[in-house]
Amino acid sequence: MRTKVLALLMLISFILAACAAPAAQPPPPTSAPVVQTQLVVQTQVIEKLVTPTPGPNPEAVIEGVEPNAEISLWTFYLSPWFDDYIKSTIARFEATYPGVKVNWEDHQATFLQDYRNAMAAGTAPDVANLSDTEGWVREFAAQGKLLSMSDNLPQSVIDQYFPGLFNLQTVGGKSYQVPWYQAIAIELINHQIYDKTGLKVEDFPKKYEDLPALCKTIKEKTGTLCDIRLTVTDLLRDMAYQGGVKVMSDDGKKFTFDSPEAVAWLQMYVDMVKNNLVDRNALMTTDDRVGLELFTSGHAAFYQTGPQLIRTVRTDNPGLYGYLDVAPLPDGKSGKTAPTSMAMSVKADTKYPKAALALAVFFTNPISQLEFAKIVSIYPSTPASYDDPFFSAKPVAIEDYAKPLAKELISKQADIMPEIPQPKDVNEIVLQAVQSALFGGVNPQKALTDAVNKANALIGQ
Amino acid sequence: MPRKSALTPYLFLAPALIAIAVFVLYPIFAVVYYSFTDFDISTPPVWVGLKNYQHLFSEPLFGQALLHSFIYLIATPILIILSIALAIIVNRKLPGINFFRGLYYIPAISGSIAVGIIWRWLFDAQGGLLNGVLMWLGAIKEPVQWLTEPALTLPIAISLTVWMGVGYYMMVFLAGLQNIPEDLYDAAMIDGCNSWQKHLHVSIPGLRPQITLVAVISSLAAIEVYNEILVLFGQLGGILNSGVTMVFYLWREAFRLNHAGYASAIAIVLLVITLGFSILNMRLLERGSESD
Amino acid sequence: MELSHASISPLHTAALRRRALSNALWYALLILIAAGMVLPFLWMFLTSFKGPNDVIFSVPPQLIPKDPTFANYVRVWNNLPLPNFFLNSIVVAGTTVIFNVLITSLAAYPFAKMKFRGRDAIFYGLLALYIVPVQLTYIPSYVLAVKVFHYYNHISALIFPSLANVFNIFLMRQAFKSVPDDLIDAGRVDGASELRIWWDILLPVVRPSLATVAIITFVNQWNDFLWPSLMLQSMDRKTLTVGLLALQGMFSSDFRGVAAGVTMTVIPILVFFVALQKYFVRGLTGAVKG
Repeated sequence: MRTKVLALLMLISFILAACAAPAAQPPPPTSAPVVQTQLVVQTQVIEKLVTPTPGPNPEAVIEGVEPNAEISLWTFYLSPWFDDYIKSTIARFEATYPGVKVNWEDHQATFLQDYRNAMAAGTAPDVANLSDTEGWVREFAAQGKLLSMSDNLPQSVIDQYFPGLFNLQTVGGKSYQVPWYQAIAIELINHQIYDKTGLKVEDFPKKYEDLPALCKTIKEKTGTLCDIRLTVTDLLRDMAYQGGVKVMSDDGKKFTFDSPEAVAWLQMYVDMVKNNLVDRNALMTTDDRVGLELFTSGHAAFYQTGPQLIRTVRTDNPGLYGYLDVAPLPDGKSGKTAPTSMAMSVKADTKYPKAALALAVFFTNPISQLEFAKIVSIYPSTPASYDDPFFSAKPVAIEDYAKPLAKELISKQADIMPEIPQPKDVNEIVLQAVQSALFGGVNPQKALTDAVNKANALIGQ
Repeated sequence: MPRKSALTPYLFLAPALIAIAVFVLYPIFAVVYYSFTDFDISTPPVWVGLKNYQHLFSEPLFGQALLHSFIYLIATPILIILSIALAIIVNRKLPGINFFRGLYYIPAISGSIAVGIIWRWLFDAQGGLLNGVLMWLGAIKEPVQWLTEPALTLPIAISLTVWMGVGYYMMVFLAGLQNIPEDLYDAAMIDGCNSWQKHLHVSIPGLRPQITLVAVISSLAAIEVYNEILVLFGQLGGILNSGVTMVFYLWREAFRLNHAGYASAIAIVLLVITLGFSILNMRLLERGSESD
Repeated sequence: MELSHASISPLHTAALRRRALSNALWYALLILIAAGMVLPFLWMFLTSFKGPNDVIFSVPPQLIPKDPTFANYVRVWNNLPLPNFFLNSIVVAGTTVIFNVLITSLAAYPFAKMKFRGRDAIFYGLLALYIVPVQLTYIPSYVLAVKVFHYYNHISALIFPSLANVFNIFLMRQAFKSVPDDLIDAGRVDGASELRIWWDILLPVVRPSLATVAIITFVNQWNDFLWPSLMLQSMDRKTLTVGLLALQGMFSSDFRGVAAGVTMTVIPILVFFVALQKYFVRGLTGAVKG
């Protein structure tokens, strides 16, 4: 009898545990008086920066926000380091648009997979921090899953961003994201290994095509492999920026990535792999953390990343921090820099479009981005932020090296990629072709031409 | 006095049958239907007839996936031989033998993901123990990039499966060995067999039911392998798709590339294969029990 | 005549010495194999205590940390909700076992001990379904989870598909078949309902088989990876297997962190196993006999 009761109790407790939906996020802080003080201070600053907009709060730029909206936000790889910043920005937002509640989640290595699954499940967040760099915005915009920013934002809001950045990853000529923080890609150098080559930081290659020679020297003099990462989710982008390759015909109907420039670009990597100059794991990984961690653990002479990730070195391997140096990125044949850009997008079938748009715009407005820039070396996508004295201050730590040049560099970032139909499937074709040339001994020209034919067949040409 | 109503058996069966109908029977029909459609899970399926199957048979990657799954089957005989050997070794009354038996079971019990991560680091080019030991012994001059060498992908994955499985199946064979009557061994000894022949002529035939069981379980597991590939080689499935097996291919097409219709066609092919295997296994089972 | 003394003849000594030598050789072999089985775990365990200045890779390999530290454990603990991973796995596996064992042994009773129309047809139908590879069901199950049952990103998504499976029904049917009919008839004569007979008479008799089924189901559910990885999105809802992969992704080349995380998840499992070792072994061998 006793065992029966015990079994029944266990059963009930398991049922209760299984059916209870755990509360995932703590509620945001509601210290209203403190927030109002902040607002008062900022109002004075705002009058200098942002064009006056109607409403009691200058940051409330979206009209008709749904009352009592509850919206969800996903950020990419920002927790736990920036918990305070995100939470305080959300608090400011909720004070600006009273009645709106924000539920925040941070997703990391599995962000893309989680977002895809959630989209398929209909449970995607209203607002998501997507990566322009990894081509995520275009992937979902092309499927009609994102709200068009060009159509849904007032012009005054659109004008608060650098035009080149607002128009990243367009589909059908429209933008589906608002640009958030930008990174400036630089080459991080580890003096411990680099110095053994006998080269100086100034000698770091100025052109992409000179990288293989550097890797050869590094291998000979130090025995370490180069830590270079291909964007395996968007190889055409690497081809275009690094190799100056024209990937599509002007009329957007045929693919052209088997041109001599493309073959030369691919041959460069084929040679590096053949001579065992690069770490293959870092080369082909889908997770850019792998290459960074390889550098942070002291196994690479240099790594291309953003200054904001120098903090990873500081926390994970403080001993290395003192040996760090920075060199500008080598120029690709295209002469343009690929924007390393994070964005905010709103899902098309959101129940609260105005509230979601308001959140996306809020996080990316000049004030929010300035606050973010003050705690980590990222650069705002809003010109107004740079008027703040913070950016004209002289750089002190190595992370700040790019601060005075930032505004100019970022205004030059542009998207030179054409709109590619069915980008995921096309990229999969290119990925297989590149792999076959790199590791399977297939002739690069043949691999690329076959891929072009396959891709053209896919889009019905 | 409550009498058994005619409904009683069906009431007992109902919960199980409903669950199986929803989660096994319905999916079969659904997958057959999906395999004739273009479907990306979020939008409704669009009928395309045989297009997916045509694509399947013209796609070299499908042939590769099939080949890799069949190559993986070599894990089964390896596992059987090693597990039997291990069972024979631990089947003796030495003090502390239970401690060793438990020790050998640790890889089996720790879970494929945990063990997979350990294995992945063992073979890591920069920090792995294998490279360290080999370089120390002078067998290699510079670190070998084990995990990114296409030809080594499947062998490394198979070695992981074997390492994990050998303790588990050892227990199964041990139980089987302990069921073999002592007289058979005594008879063999009287006939003049040495210990090697003893095992060949008594132990192994005596283990036939266990061998069949292990063969069935591990061969089906080999055809359906996925965890090891993902943990060791990541979402790409190994350089040049060298680790892409049938289930990995299914997963990638359905949940990474959103070609759920095409993936359903792959699933149907997988079903046909496992059907073939099961029929084969059942024939072996029949033949096995006949000779008992 | 001195036969009463336990005199040791030279022949006996030689035999003893041979036995000692062969024992020593066996132990040597056992230890060698044990090294092969345990060394990777040991290596990971020791690496988890290495500080940033303690190299991981060196020739010759240096296993013991020079400057042991707990920093890696703290880092992993702060970055990943390990207690949630464990709790979710326990709840999922536990709930599944309870329901599955009940449901499958309910179903096994009629197959074993009752005559009714369609018994053989249904049984062979189940046999046919046994062949279906579970991965095939994932795509439709995914659609069901999202669009019909709405339990996407909830642990129910792991429990419902595992409520019943053919293998367990077979096992329990075998177990029930071996129960003598007299017991059941006695119950029926006494006027007990079939449910009473099942609960009060049959289940206690087949307890070892119940334990076997419970253990097999528990271990399978605990170690399941692909389906949970499809269903569980939020970090705090992941089970241990999915969480471990997230650990690997988060710490990628930071081997010390990965080592600490893996150690923290493996040790409780080992402790649990040592405590219940008897039942595990019985469960395995039971499956073979059944």
